[in-house]
Amino acid sequence: MKMPYHGRYVFVVLICAILGVAIVVQMVRINYTTYSQQLIAKSADYQGVEKIIYPSRGTIYDRSGHILATNQVGYELGIDLKFVNDPESIAFSVASIIDDLDYVNVFELASTEERENENRYFVLSSYVSKEKIDELSRLKESYADRRQQQRAEKPSLSGLVWYPMQQRTYPEGTLAANLLGFYNYFSRETAQGVYGVEEAYNRLLTGKPQSVFMPNDPYLVEPLPDIQPGASLVLTIDRDIQRMVERQLADAMEWSGAEGGTIIVANPENGEILGMASTPFFNPNEYWKYEETFPGITPYNKAIGTTYEPGSVFKVITMAAALDSGVAEPSTTYNDSSGVYWVANSWPIYNWDGGAWGVQDMTGCMQHSLNVCLAHVAVDLLQEDLFYQYLQAFGFGRSTGIDLASEANFPLRLPTNNQWVEIDLATNSFGQGIAVTPIQMVTAISAVANDGMMMTPHVVRSVIDRGQQYDVTPQVINSPISPETAQSLTQMLTITLEEEASDALVEGYTLAGKTGTGEIPTEFGYTSELTNASFVGWGPSDDPQFLVYVWLEKPTISPWGSVVAAPVFGDVVEELVVLMRIPPDNIRLKTAIE
Amino acid sequence: MKNRILQAYRQAPWRIQIQWIGLFLLGLVLIAAVTGLYLNISAQAATAGRKIQSLERDIDDINNEIADLTTELAKAESIENMEARAKDLGFKLIDPNRAVYLEIPGYNPNADLVLAPPRINIISESPIVKSSYKISLWEWFANQIWHPLEGPSSIKEGASP
Repeated sequence: MKMPYHGRYVFVVLICAILGVAIVVQMVRINYTTYSQQLIAKSADYQGVEKIIYPSRGTIYDRSGHILATNQVGYELGIDLKFVNDPESIAFSVASIIDDLDYVNVFELASTEERENENRYFVLSSYVSKEKIDELSRLKESYADRRQQQRAEKPSLSGLVWYPMQQRTYPEGTLAANLLGFYNYFSRETAQGVYGVEEAYNRLLTGKPQSVFMPNDPYLVEPLPDIQPGASLVLTIDRDIQRMVERQLADAMEWSGAEGGTIIVANPENGEILGMASTPFFNPNEYWKYEETFPGITPYNKAIGTTYEPGSVFKVITMAAALDSGVAEPSTTYNDSSGVYWVANSWPIYNWDGGAWGVQDMTGCMQHSLNVCLAHVAVDLLQEDLFYQYLQAFGFGRSTGIDLASEANFPLRLPTNNQWVEIDLATNSFGQGIAVTPIQMVTAISAVANDGMMMTPHVVRSVIDRGQQYDVTPQVINSPISPETAQSLTQMLTITLEEEASDALVEGYTLAGKTGTGEIPTEFGYTSELTNASFVGWGPSDDPQFLVYVWLEKPTISPWGSVVAAPVFGDVVEELVVLMRIPPDNIRLKTAIE
Repeated sequence: MKNRILQAYRQAPWRIQIQWIGLFLLGLVLIAAVTGLYLNISAQAATAGRKIQSLERDIDDINNEIADLTTELAKAESIENMEARAKDLGFKLIDPNRAVYLEIPGYNPNADLVLAPPRINIISESPIVKSSYKISLWEWFANQIWHPLEGPSSIKEGASP
C-alpha cells in the first residue's frame, strides 16, 4: 500500500541530499582554489600574534646599593589606520604635544588609505615620555566626552595608540658615565650595551628574550612563560668617591688648562676600582649625542682606552725591578758627575733640569727623578733581558683584563723586535718610548702597594641573577716582585715624598708616591712643549688601602707633574680618607695597638 | 499470563508509542544536559582565558609602574639631589682636619652589600651507579632484611662562598 504524501517526502529528502552534496562539493572546491590560500593566510591574522617578550635589563648598583642604571617606561606612539576617522585632530594633537613631530607628516600618515596587505600601523615616535602620553590620553578622553554630548563623529583621536616599553635610564646623569657605557635602546631588535660595563656585561644584563604566540582565541590562552629579568650588577665603584674624583678632575682641568685627564682610585689589595673619572664627561641619558662629545677617535674612557708615554711615574717599575733582582739596593749609589748618560756612545740622556746631581743613592735618584741614574740602572745593572722580563711580569704589552669594554693596549717593543733600538732600554727606564694606559700603570704599581701581588682590576663586585647573589672573587695576575721589595720601595717613596715636601702630602697620613712628566712625541720627535703630567701614590704607607693615579693631558699652567698633578693627588686623598673612613695614622696605629 | 499482556498491548497500542516518546525525550534531556554542561565549562574556560590575558596585562602594568617608581626613587636619591637637600638643611662638607674618629665595635665600612641571598649549591649523589651495585649480594640481602625501609640519602645542601 502506497503511503499518503509519499512523493512529497521523497522530494524533501532529495532536496536535503542535494544540499548536503553541494556543501561537501563546495568545501572541497574551496580547498583547491587559489583563493583558499589567501583565506588561510587571512585567518592566521585573526588567530593571534607572535610576540617577542624582552626581559627587563638588569639594574646596575654602586657598592652601597645606589642605582646607577635602571629602566623606566617609555611609550611607542603609533597610528592604527583601521580605527582612524579624524586625521586632522590626530595630527594637530600630536604635533602640539610631541616636539619632534610636525603636523604635515602626521596628517599624511593618518590619511593613508587603508589597503589590503598593507601596513596598517605606523610608528610615530619611540620612547615618548609618560607625561606626554598622559596629556594625549586626557585629550583623547575629553574628545570622547565632547562627541557623546554633541552626538558628533569629530573631533576624535581614535586610531592614535601607544604601547609601554622599558627604556634605559641613568638616574645619576653624567656620574660614572665613562665607566658605565650606555644602552642604545631606540631600536629594540638591535639594542645593545655600548662601551663600559653595559657592553662588557651585555649578555648578562639583557637576559633571554623569548618568542611567544598570543592567541586571540580565549580557549588557547596559556600563562606566559616565566621570563627572568636580566642579571643585576653591583659595582666596586663608590658613588661618593666617584663624585669626588669627577669634581676634582673638572677643577684640575680648569685651573691647569689641561686638555683632558683621568683620575683612578683603586684598592691595591683586591683590584677593586673605587672611582674612575675620565674626560670628556657625558650624559648617557642622551646617548645619541655621543658623536658630538667624542668626535673622531676620542676614546670613551681615557683611563682604559688611551695609551700614552707616562714619564717618570714609570721609574717606580724600573726601581722595583732593580731592587727585586738584587742588582741595586736603596743605599746603592750613582755618581751623576756630568748630568748626561751616553747610550752606546751615541745617544745622550739628560736629567729633567739638565743638571748634574753628584753622588746619589737610589732613594735620591727617585726623589730627584734623575733620568740619568735610572738609565744607568736599566742599561748597566738590569740590562735588556732582566729589564724586559720584569716589564712583562708587570703586565706591560698586555691588556689588564679589566671587565670593561674597549680596553686599549700597545704592544711592548722588545729587543727581539726589528723596531727596537738600544736607546729604548734607557728611555723606557724613565717612561719614554713606551706606551701604556692609565689602568696598566695602576695595575702594575698596585703590586708595589700590595706586597708584590698584582691583582686583576675589576669594577663588578657581585652579580645578582635569578634571585641569587654571586660575589666576584679577586684574581691575582702575577707576583712580579717579592713582598720585601714592595715594602722597601714603598718606604723609599714615602721618604722621597716627605723630603721633597711635595704638594701631594696630606697632613696626618704617610703616603708613598711618584711624580711623572712625560714628553709627548710628534712626527718630528719630542718637539712639543706640552707634556703629560701624572702622579701615582698610595697609602697609608704601612698598610696601603688605596692607590690614586692622576693624569692630566697637556696642562698649560706648568709642564711638570710635581706642580700640576701632585696637588690634585693631595686634594683627592684629603677627601678620600674621609670617605673611606681611614683615620690619621696616629689614631689608626693607636687603635691597632689597643 | 503472557497472552494477557499481549492482549493488553493489542488493546492499547498507544502504550508502545508513549514508551518510544519517553525514550526519545530521555535522550533529548541527556543531550541537552551534556550540551549545557559543555557550554558551561567552555564559557568558564573562555572567561579564565580572558582573565589570564587581563592578569598578564596587569602584571606588565605593575612591572612598568615598579620600574617607574624605582627610577623616581633613584633620581630623588641621586647624589646631586642629596647634596642639594643637605645644603638646604644647612649641612656642609666636612673639613678633613676637623674630623673626629670614633671606634665603633663591629662596624665595618667595607661590608659587602647583600641584595639577594647567596648562591646555594645542591649537590646530589651520582644517580648513575645505584648503591645496590656497589655492595655484595650478601650485604644487599642483609640490608633488605635488617633495614628494609632505609633509602640512600641523596641530597646534601651547602652554601657556596
